[in-house]
Amino acid sequence: MLFKLSFSSMRKSFKDYLVLLFGLTISIAIFYMFQTLAQNKVFLESNAMISSIVFVFHVGTFILAAITIFYIFYATSFMLSMRQKEMGMYMTLGAKKYKVAQMMFFETFFIGMISLLIGIAIGIGLAEGIASLFMWQLDFSGEGFEAFYLSSIMTTVIFYVILFSLTSIVNAVKVARQSVLELLHADRKHDEVNTKGSRTIIGVFFAIALIAVGYYAMIHIDKLVQFGVILAAITITIGTYLIFISFLPYFIKKLKGIRTLNEKGLNAFTLAQLRFRVMNLTKVLGTVTMLIALGLGALTAGISFYHNIEKQSSMFQTNDVVVHQPSETDEEIIETLNITEQHEYRYKVKKDGVYFLKEDLLNNPPLIREFNPEIKEIPEPKSVATSLPAEKYAWNEDEQMKAMPEGWYTAISTELNTSFYMFGGRDIYIYDKTNFQKIDGKEQHVFTAMIEDFKEALPKLEKIDKGQQEIAASMTGEKPETTGSKYSNYVAIKGFSNGTIFMGFFLGVAFLMMMASVLMFKLLSSANADIQRYDMLRKIGVRRSVLTKSIYRELFLVFLFPAIIGLVHVLVGMQMFSFIIIEPYTKIWIPISIFILIYGIYYVMTVQMYKRIVLPKEE
Amino acid sequence: MSKPVLQVKNLHKIYGKKNQNQYHALDHVSFTINEGEFVGIMGPSGAGKTTLLNVISTLDDASEGTIEIAGTNITSMKQNQLADFRSEQLGFIFQDFNLLENLTVYENIALPLSLQGVSSKKIKPNVEKVAQRLGIESILKKYPVTISGGQKQRVAAARALVHEPAMILADEPTGALDSKNAKSLMETIMDLNENHDVSIMLVTHDPLSASYCQRIMFIQDGKLYKEINRNSTREVFHQQILNVLAEFSG
Ligand SMILES: Nc1ncnc2c1ncn2[C@@H]1O[C@H](COP(=O)(O)OP(=O)(O)O)[C@@H](O)[C@H]1O
Ligand SMILES: [Mg+2]
Repeated sequence: MLFKLSFSSMRKSFKDYLVLLFGLTISIAIFYMFQTLAQNKVFLESNAMISSIVFVFHVGTFILAAITIFYIFYATSFMLSMRQKEMGMYMTLGAKKYKVAQMMFFETFFIGMISLLIGIAIGIGLAEGIASLFMWQLDFSGEGFEAFYLSSIMTTVIFYVILFSLTSIVNAVKVARQSVLELLHADRKHDEVNTKGSRTIIGVFFAIALIAVGYYAMIHIDKLVQFGVILAAITITIGTYLIFISFLPYFIKKLKGIRTLNEKGLNAFTLAQLRFRVMNLTKVLGTVTMLIALGLGALTAGISFYHNIEKQSSMFQTNDVVVHQPSETDEEIIETLNITEQHEYRYKVKKDGVYFLKEDLLNNPPLIREFNPEIKEIPEPKSVATSLPAEKYAWNEDEQMKAMPEGWYTAISTELNTSFYMFGGRDIYIYDKTNFQKIDGKEQHVFTAMIEDFKEALPKLEKIDKGQQEIAASMTGEKPETTGSKYSNYVAIKGFSNGTIFMGFFLGVAFLMMMASVLMFKLLSSANADIQRYDMLRKIGVRRSVLTKSIYRELFLVFLFPAIIGLVHVLVGMQMFSFIIIEPYTKIWIPISIFILIYGIYYVMTVQMYKRIVLPKEE
Repeated sequence: MSKPVLQVKNLHKIYGKKNQNQYHALDHVSFTINEGEFVGIMGPSGAGKTTLLNVISTLDDASEGTIEIAGTNITSMKQNQLADFRSEQLGFIFQDFNLLENLTVYENIALPLSLQGVSSKKIKPNVEKVAQRLGIESILKKYPVTISGGQKQRVAAARALVHEPAMILADEPTGALDSKNAKSLMETIMDLNENHDVSIMLVTHDPLSASYCQRIMFIQDGKLYKEINRNSTREVFHQQILNVLAEFSG
């Protein structure tokens, strides 16, 4: 009989259950998505740039599991808050306590199992969708990745069945422990506000000190290495929680203390609600902040690695295109490029050497980038300024000839691409006109150019590079794997970055989806308690629009604090990558915009659902 | 003759949609309350008292008829206008107090003024004035959970009064109070009416509370069925009320 009642009331409040189902499903889908990567060691090891990536994923699994446990408890307590009044009513009508507790267990578990089914299905779909989107974007084959991964399904099922059993028991026990009156008046609790000044000051001091240590560790990660990562993780996490425990409640209290602000319009109420949230949500806000930091961090690192490919490949070469002995097809392709600067240099090839014409070089000294291991930015191009007074110079000094000066050496080997791949073991010489003419051999030339948009020209450059491989083959008798051109460097760097970028994107999106829904749940689970407050305000004549505005403002601030702190963590945290990424902050607006978009959607969704709960429908 | 503060004409309220079983909660009710009057509405449970109050207080809309409060016809107003009207012209006291428990007593009382955009400099003396009138100056800094039911109802009354509304509407304000607190609250309300010219409409089913009114209208099955005026002492009026109720149930 009770079960029939329970089903019919579940059908009635179907929309509320939809909210719950949605949240649980997201959590399960994300957990599963993460597992498809984390458990696929073959994929991880063969695609990651960072050798300890499997370790990183172990830590990730641990963090995600911990967060998920919190999350599921919040979500199911949302369910309890929805149902407890009714449960209390059944008890006043004479239902036995254990029966009602049993019913609560059954309901929680039932919802859990449904969401597990849907969640895994959506998880497989999401993993497939996001993976193929990123793989397509990155032009990355991602061999070994499988969206439908059996062992991940097993892990997810086992983990959630255990978790739902636990939360169902907890819900049942909670119902059983409370008295009928407590259940009936569950929505009328008062929240004490205790914020002692001295405690706050100590808390804030420790928070700032800990975060400062963590930031220091991240900035000096090159010296502290793995110890630094662990140190930063611990200090920043604790510091973040401390900020939410000590500083934020104090701040809101002070804000509320400003009479002119507090007594304006509905502010007294809005601020009271906000104070209540901040007091009750310290742990959630801290968790959300850390999730934002992790998610946004992974995303930013991924995108940073992505832009790094082009930078890394521009690290040494100024010229985007270098074509030896251009063929007719090469000429045609060159015609279509957006060239900003171009030159030609004549040379002759013999069995033992390549001879460049000094006058050509001096007329248009190539721009070079001087590599300096100390500097973390791309070196500025400089034209070679050293004069060449002698008639002949050689790559390697010998009795007859001087070695070519440093800058010229770089210019010829790198900018004119006379690498081993192109010319094999031949020596390189610079001869003046008179001596150049004496060499018997066909006069050749190398064409160099800088173009407007390197990435856009990639398909054309690929064709040119194929041709250059043929020429290299004719020089060395063997077709090389790479020509040493900027294009071939780009392809090589991209090859080993893509796996890392893919993981960054994938995890980043997963974490971001997760974090905002944690907040959404916690907020919605307390919404039932606010119904009366809004109803009273409506009765004394507060316009609906004013109430709506109050909700928007209050929740905006609740969403804002974790976002700001999480963002600062990420901005500092990107320093960790500065030893493998050149200029890690390039285009940081992209991940930040993605974050703001996802977060914004959650914010608006939360406001809408909250409004639906606390404000009666418009007539 | 003083002018009317509330004019109800031919008011009809139907619950339930057409073609379904409809319920006529108010059946063509008409009456007038003058400025400075203290009128009680009595009747058995389910008679339509709360419905009447809700419709007058613009919380619910009428199916038929007109309501004029302080010269304004509220039956044709839009949602936002109604909200503004409530916040400016009406004060409410409900049975279950309806205080915001996350605000202090002071903040609760100040709310109607804040909502009307009164500056915080002017709010303070106003709040203190009504608090004094209702004898709750000492608890202004407290939160509602820490005060008694009687005090809560005084706070609710203070909040209903602070913006000097045209009329106060009270629905069973003594319903959740013990007899001592009920008596003291009714004395305060009567004082507000007699010495401060506040117009009051009080819904109750408690004869003792009703005896503080000047006039009582009895309602049953959505119809006004009797009206009596107080023309001697409260004790006599109390007896008169009991007689009507006895006659009614008999
Ligand atoms: N929202 C509603 N929908 C349908 N019927 C209602 C509604 N509100 C009240 N009623 C009915 O109208 C009648 C009068 O109710 P009410 O005004 O609350 O009575 P009172 O306050 O005098 O006890 C009751 O029979 C009640 O069942
Ligand atoms: Mg009633």
